[in-house]
Amino acid sequence: MLNIVYVTSYAAHCTFMSSENFDNLRLELRRGGLVVAVLAALHSEQYGYTLRKIMADHGIEIDEGTLYPLLRRLESQGLLKSKWREEQKRNKRFYQLTVAGKQILEQLLTEWRSMDSSINSILKEYGHATSRTVFASR
Amino acid sequence: MQLLERYLQAVKFWLPKEQKEDIIAELSEDIRSQIDEKEAELGRKLNEVELEAILKQCGRPILVANRYLPQEQLIGPVLFPIYRLVLKIVMLCYLVPWIVTWIALLIFNSGYAAKFAGHSWVEILGSLWAQLWGTAFLAAGTVTLVFAILERVQRKSHFLEEWSPRKLPPVNNPSLISRFNSIVELAANMIFCLWWTANMSSGVVLNQVNLRIALAPAPWRYFFWGFLLIAFVNIGLAVANLARPYWTAPRAAIRLVSDMAGSVFFCWLLKANILAEFSGASIPPEKAVQVTALLNLWMGRIFPIAVILGVVIAVVNIFRIVRVAAPPPHIPGETTAMA
Repeated sequence: MLNIVYVTSYAAHCTFMSSENFDNLRLELRRGGLVVAVLAALHSEQYGYTLRKIMADHGIEIDEGTLYPLLRRLESQGLLKSKWREEQKRNKRFYQLTVAGKQILEQLLTEWRSMDSSINSILKEYGHATSRTVFASR
Repeated sequence: MQLLERYLQAVKFWLPKEQKEDIIAELSEDIRSQIDEKEAELGRKLNEVELEAILKQCGRPILVANRYLPQEQLIGPVLFPIYRLVLKIVMLCYLVPWIVTWIALLIFNSGYAAKFAGHSWVEILGSLWAQLWGTAFLAAGTVTLVFAILERVQRKSHFLEEWSPRKLPPVNNPSLISRFNSIVELAANMIFCLWWTANMSSGVVLNQVNLRIALAPAPWRYFFWGFLLIAFVNIGLAVANLARPYWTAPRAAIRLVSDMAGSVFFCWLLKANILAEFSGASIPPEKAVQVTALLNLWMGRIFPIAVILGVVIAVVNIFRIVRVAAPPPHIPGETTAMA
């Protein structure tokens, strides 16, 4: 009985650790991607809330606590410019890509595609190896 | 909407002064847009519970504000491993001897122990903790302060980024015996043997007109031959170590026995009332007797420290034997000598 309790709690612990690990790794993986996505979405002028909606519509959920500090950082680096303007009777801050931002985005996209291609190539090889291992074990 | 105002006020408190208004205006606009959308969806005003749900989703005010602040560290990732190592060393080399000395004083020093007479063990340990807390806090605080200053200097000068693989220490081999150490040990023991046999065989340490120091002849014979034998063993060991500068289990065991014998003889010497005569032409006989007794008493008082030292030496020697006797760690991918 004690063994069952121990095994169950151990399995629960492993599942929790695995989920926590996944969340941390996912966060790391997303971090760089978010910058590219935000820069790409700001080819046209947007304010924070609409930018979040655009990102969400494309499957990238980003909360305000992450987006606004990121926008400020990119603006301080000269990649974005912003201005306050009244729209629908409320003051909103609109962001848009600068010339420097466009250049950086192009460079980042080149890097992104290169990484994507490399990872795909590795996955292709790794996939074959996994199949061989699975078949060999049977 | 009072809940929203309270939330924004809480976030504002933690924000940098020059950006407070700007950030709050933008955050407020975002949350109001969320509220508008939700109200349009429901076709009515939001109640307090629904508004609370939106604010909870935004996050705890201090965490939200924290994301706008520059990332600062008291001790950064470059210095942190060194800081942790130094802290461990300080704790080990400062606090552990402190506790051991305190316990030794309590056991061996009757004057110190008398201060705790009538107190329970809980009270005695409470007293230790009260003294230790301040000492530990001061030690850890000093180390932290030094590293915080180093971190600031490092951030400006980047002095840790300048390094060369050539300046790294050689590969650590715990079994290797330094030839220099062996030569020093050999020379020191040979000089000791010469001096010991020339001057100490009679037990008269000093024989001048003004001062004569003599040791009790009966027990001194044992100490004389005992220390001489240990010195011969050490000479033999130093010669062997010089020829083959790697620790082996038998040689490490001989070192343990030799060191332990030395410690036992030394502790015994301290307790043996070995000083028999301390006299001189200008010293009155009663004064000479008093000084002799006093010196023997003080030698006896050093005894606990000698015991602690002996235990430390034994632990170091045992650790060496265990390390030498243990099989070398297997490094994946490295072929063995047999292969």
